[in-house]
Amino acid sequence: MSSPRTAKRLNRILAMLPWVIANTGAGVDEVCERFGYTRRELAADLDLVFVCGLPGYGPGDLMVAYIDEDEVVVELADYFASPVRLTPPEALSLLAAGMALVSTAQAPPALESAVTKLQEVILGDDQEALVVDLSEPPLVGELRTAAANGAVVNIVYTAVGSGETSERDVEPWAVFTTLGNWYVRAFCRLAAAERVFRIDRIREVTVTGDVFTPPEEIPEPEIGYTPREEDVRALILLRDRARWVAEYFPVETVTDDTQGLVVRFSASDPLVIARLLIRLGRTAELLEGDDVEVVLAALKTRILARYAPAR
Amino acid sequence: MSNVLAVQKVIERILNLLAFLLTAGRPVTADEIRATVAGYDQPTDDAFHRMFERDKDLLRRLGIPLELAPTDGWQVEHGYMVDREAYALPDPGLTDDERAALWLAAEVVRLGGHASAPDALLKLGGAPVTASTEPLAASLAEGSADLGTVFLGLAERRFVLFGYRDKRRRVAPYGLVHRRGHWYLVGAEGDQVKVFRMDKTSDVTADDQADAFARPEGFRAADAIPDTPWEAGGEDLVATVRFDSDMAWWARRQIGNRGTLEEEGDGVIVATMPVANPEAFIGWLLSFDDRAVLVGPPELRKRLVDRVAEGI
Repeated sequence: MSSPRTAKRLNRILAMLPWVIANTGAGVDEVCERFGYTRRELAADLDLVFVCGLPGYGPGDLMVAYIDEDEVVVELADYFASPVRLTPPEALSLLAAGMALVSTAQAPPALESAVTKLQEVILGDDQEALVVDLSEPPLVGELRTAAANGAVVNIVYTAVGSGETSERDVEPWAVFTTLGNWYVRAFCRLAAAERVFRIDRIREVTVTGDVFTPPEEIPEPEIGYTPREEDVRALILLRDRARWVAEYFPVETVTDDTQGLVVRFSASDPLVIARLLIRLGRTAELLEGDDVEVVLAALKTRILARYAPAR
Repeated sequence: MSNVLAVQKVIERILNLLAFLLTAGRPVTADEIRATVAGYDQPTDDAFHRMFERDKDLLRRLGIPLELAPTDGWQVEHGYMVDREAYALPDPGLTDDERAALWLAAEVVRLGGHASAPDALLKLGGAPVTASTEPLAASLAEGSADLGTVFLGLAERRFVLFGYRDKRRRVAPYGLVHRRGHWYLVGAEGDQVKVFRMDKTSDVTADDQADAFARPEGFRAADAIPDTPWEAGGEDLVATVRFDSDMAWWARRQIGNRGTLEEEGDGVIVATMPVANPEAFIGWLLSFDDRAVLVGPPELRKRLVDRVAEGI
């Protein structure tokens, strides 16, 4: 198989030629900017094109391609006047990216019209066939604006694990979504450390009036959970209908057979695991983990108390 | 030969091949290519075939429709051709602003690990490269290698075949929907419209035959995917739930307009909502710890109590 670099270079040549052919007199700078070339790279690709063409390979058979002062010249290459159609993965990734942003209602009008035009050439009449819905929870917009303006905000946050609600000032860096949830990555002034907050667990956002300078480079968002020494661990059997748990939580698979999936689950609070188990019901079973067992029993008693016959 | 020179040789050869195929207007045999096109003049059959296979593979990866067709009516001999119409990208007529907007969208939205969007944008006429300052990033789920195959089926109305829950399926794809972090395929298996979660599919292939089915008039893929797990099911119940004041905000947000909400004073709210999947609904209610109480109906209440009491 040829290298991805060869494919990328060829793809760029086959994209650049039609554009230059359609825009006679195109300037070097514009071609470079548009197709991400340095002047040197562009010259090298044009040199390549210049020695190719049709059998006979004499003058008149070969394409003409060179830089004349600041102009890019391509002639005798009409068979490359059209760009190559998109592959299905290319078409999907472009459309999906565009539609995802449009669904957040944060998209510029140019994106909406671009998506409409692409849908027309790719899907024709079947425009309802592809749907990308990022369904933003409330407050995503406020946090994104705060991040863009470097505005410090005060948030009321309910922790997913403990259920505790707290109030804190944070410096929002970036908003992102993955696996169906929205998060804000921020510097938390209360903890004096970097934190990731699930946005649907934020009850209120208030702009404090304070401003901050975001770090030069915001690290790639990742929401992996790194187990720590003091964490609670439990061994859990996930029967078939509960297998999805392994995709959503940072678990370590121990065995996988017809009985189901046995995973080791770590969490900072046993209540996190107990809540998950009660939610899963019969589709999961706690195999090992005394701390969790105690907390789970207490949780069950607490819930049943609300269903006890009237006093 | 240095690496740079080797890459140049490959690109020259392929440009010559493509120029030849685009202008030949007829299928040309591998032998003719070897004898005619500059760069394919190899000393042994083996060397030629290895080279030619590699180049065909590269052309197809770029999206170039390289087809094999009989060279005459007797169908004895086959040759290669590139149909100019199938080769060309229909021009969507994008403006530069629209290209730049798409470029930005492709920068902030990732489809799994795939970053093929920039290459695709070059085909559409490139775009001024501007570093993204958008404080937003979205990732549309992993495991998307097969999504391209399903999308091909969708765009060209080909059947798709795949494994799902230990069975091979043959499905007419009507829609592809991304919601709540997952990709779903909506399509007809036999005469039944079903929903498949893409990350549970395996060995996905698309059938060769295009335009093999018609999508039902006015079909909306989005409507086939329920918003919440408890709305997807066969039962038809209406539940009443009382939420404590400290969790009322969370309940309000989760229920949205999927039920009616009433304030009861002191911040307590009572929700009345339809339930199609009792098991999923009970699971969701239990995630409120002891801060939500299922008021009715009695049979649902009993199911919840039985489920919690189990093992005590």
